[in-house]
Amino acid sequence: MAGVNGAGSGAGAASGEACLMPLGGGAFGPVARAQYGALAKLRWQMLSNGLRFRKGKLELGVRTLGFLIYGATGVALGGGLGFAAYLLAASHEMRFLPLVFWATFLLWQMIPIMMASFQEQFDLGSLLRFPVSFQSFFLLYAVFGLADISTILGGLCCVGIWVGLSVALPGLFLWTTLTVGLFALFNILLVRAIFAWIDRWLAQRKTREILGAVFMLLVLSAQLLNPALHHGFADFHQSNHKDAIRNTQHYRDMEARYEPWLKMADAVQQWLPPGLAAKGLQQAAGQVGGKTGGPTSGAAPGLGLIGLYALVAGGVLATRLKAEYRGESLGQAPKRTKAAPIRAKLAAGTSASTAAKVERASGWIPAWAGPVGAVMEKELRSLMRSVSQLYVLGAPLMMVFIFGSMFRSNVGTGHSFTLALPVCMAYSMLGFTQLFANNLGTEGAGIQLLFLSPTPFRTVLLAKNLFHAMLFGVDALIAGILVTLRLGTPDSAVLVGTIGWLLFALPANLAVGNVFSITMPFRVNPGRLTRQRGSQANALLSLLTQLAVMAVGATVFGLCWYLDRLWLAGPVFLVLAAGSVFGWLRVLRNAEGMANRRKDSLLLTLVKTE
Amino acid sequence: MVTAAIQTYGLTRRFGALTAVEDVTLSVASGQFFGFLGPNGAGKSTTIKMLTGLLEPSAGSIEILGQPFVAGALELKRQIGVVPEGMALLGRLTAPEYLRFVGRMYGLDRATTSRRTEELLEFMQLANESKKLVTDFSHGMQKKLALAAAVIHGPKVLFLDEPFEGVDAIAAGMLKSMLQGMINRGATIFLTTHVLEIVERLCSHVAIISKGRLVANGSIQELRAGVASTLPGAEHEQRLTLEEIFLSIVGAGEQPEPQQELSWLA
Repeated sequence: MAGVNGAGSGAGAASGEACLMPLGGGAFGPVARAQYGALAKLRWQMLSNGLRFRKGKLELGVRTLGFLIYGATGVALGGGLGFAAYLLAASHEMRFLPLVFWATFLLWQMIPIMMASFQEQFDLGSLLRFPVSFQSFFLLYAVFGLADISTILGGLCCVGIWVGLSVALPGLFLWTTLTVGLFALFNILLVRAIFAWIDRWLAQRKTREILGAVFMLLVLSAQLLNPALHHGFADFHQSNHKDAIRNTQHYRDMEARYEPWLKMADAVQQWLPPGLAAKGLQQAAGQVGGKTGGPTSGAAPGLGLIGLYALVAGGVLATRLKAEYRGESLGQAPKRTKAAPIRAKLAAGTSASTAAKVERASGWIPAWAGPVGAVMEKELRSLMRSVSQLYVLGAPLMMVFIFGSMFRSNVGTGHSFTLALPVCMAYSMLGFTQLFANNLGTEGAGIQLLFLSPTPFRTVLLAKNLFHAMLFGVDALIAGILVTLRLGTPDSAVLVGTIGWLLFALPANLAVGNVFSITMPFRVNPGRLTRQRGSQANALLSLLTQLAVMAVGATVFGLCWYLDRLWLAGPVFLVLAAGSVFGWLRVLRNAEGMANRRKDSLLLTLVKTE
Repeated sequence: MVTAAIQTYGLTRRFGALTAVEDVTLSVASGQFFGFLGPNGAGKSTTIKMLTGLLEPSAGSIEILGQPFVAGALELKRQIGVVPEGMALLGRLTAPEYLRFVGRMYGLDRATTSRRTEELLEFMQLANESKKLVTDFSHGMQKKLALAAAVIHGPKVLFLDEPFEGVDAIAAGMLKSMLQGMINRGATIFLTTHVLEIVERLCSHVAIISKGRLVANGSIQELRAGVASTLPGAEHEQRLTLEEIFLSIVGAGEQPEPQQELSWLA
């Protein structure tokens, strides 16, 4: 006992208190600083200890590669936006500057939504048992968010804009710095606030299911709205060939019809942070150029308002974090059975309502489907209760809906891009990346049952693959209908080629996905859109696989197009499909051995928590 | 008047329509080894989470060492040690790394943290496993590490949620003697466990919670006398074990007769 005298009160406690640092000093007091140091060291040790395993080394490599890719993308985007800002400022076209800020804002806020399943975040809730002050808790939450992909990209965009404007208008250096800095702060706080609240709403199963249903309805509504919204434009495009004069008139009519709306949108956007930032700088530039006094009077009110917006975003975030800090439970308590005595229940036998519930709960897939059916039903139920997974499946469809208009190229000619169908199909497959490549992730502790049950592991994977294939079939069908409605019936050769590519791409993805699922799985919390502990290696390698499969498609289609023999794409893809189906079957055949060899690592990753 | 180490007034926690803990008023004197018992789902862990600041009460209040325990009561948090339900270990650290991390999070200076880490690892017989990652520890080793982390800062009040689960007999004996030592030096320990023999041997006072409500509270002798008085024959009092007291209070009558339950089982 001599070794643990620090524990307890009395003499031991007294000696313990002597070596405790004094509390206080807010977010930068001695204890807070020690805590930040401990957390930084913790992250470093977790990273370096992870290198003991091959998986950890792979993770580090992929993470580095990922940051390089994100960094390069950010530099490219920042460079582009910075150049645009420079051109606008240098050519006295600052009225278009809001576009640059709005592009940055949308990028910043949209990327976390698109990339939610690829990001890893630290759950600060685990720190609540320590004497961590709220200021430190808030600061840590904000600081940990700085490593988000969205913040890296958005931050680089802001740097680009800042450089562009500073070069074009050196006299406004201070105001540009303040405006862009405040704008960036607002974005950081807003994106953290949005996700903190989304996590709150998704924490309870019932809310999750309601949100899931609402989300699916929204996706479907978007699909239905699409053709209706573009009816007017379609008329315009079709008539354009026939009569240029009538078209011009039509264009004027449309302009007249939409002008009030555009003016109203412009008036509104000027009061929102991206518009305020641009307007403030525009006014400051005008005053500097016109020499009507310093830029203060022009930029200061806008700057103040952006600061106010940042404060509001910070306040919204603080409200949520304060609740978490107080110990608000995001989970649900287990239900306690009501008072009916067990003896009475058993004496009555299985009640009719219980029997009905059991019957209802097992009625989705016919009984003859056996273990394959059971796994598929379980997958379907899990999916319907995971809004984050529904989201990643639905998001590409929404993007197909948005990008559809891009393929109506050559506005005015009425021609659409010939290969729009396969491009849209490829994009809709992107949403399935994580589902294919981490198909055991949602099992959690349930993975033990898969190993304990007499069902071979390959049967489980087969069932999961069939379910995902069916799901993708539905998604592809919706995307196909969408493309047809947007761009007209595709050429038969393109249609056959696309079907051929899908027959090649799907088994290829499933085969590689099964390998990734067994070799580098990660646990997925279906109730969370953020703060998932992901595997960067899995995320990036699966994305690269998708890109490789798409590259094969693009090469074949490109060559056939170049040779003016698009009909050849279908047969070529069918040959490739035979190969990928063979590969998929081989993987399934070897899945049993592969899973058993990696049983320990699978259980460790999916059962044990961090 | 002796200040209570833990005092709750009307402590309540609701999860939507379910009231997990209802109107619990409890007092644990300083230096007491207090057993908190209840069947599965009775509200024990929820109560501990509220008492340690991990869960906000829906109603009621908590005082620790005579001070109101609210969010931001950092000085009080430093007087508390916890072995939570899931142990809250970090799998990708070694045991010394984890203990140093916890020590720093509680605001211990580096030298003390390092010294106590070594002492605790030695005491818990984990010193030879210092290179191993926590995730590779057995369940019992993890329990020992969680307990070491709970006491590294020298808490005056220790909350233990099932600390002996999965711990072998030798280690359990060692831990019990350590806890008893803490009590002798004036610490207060709040223990929940399903192993009633341990409670009977270690705890002087016991509270029993059932369906979220406190149904019994007092010294083991008082509970024994109370239950015995409801049974025919005064001689019962001498023979009642804590298990019998517990079953009598939380309703052993709800246990099904063997012949009535799941007759298809082999």
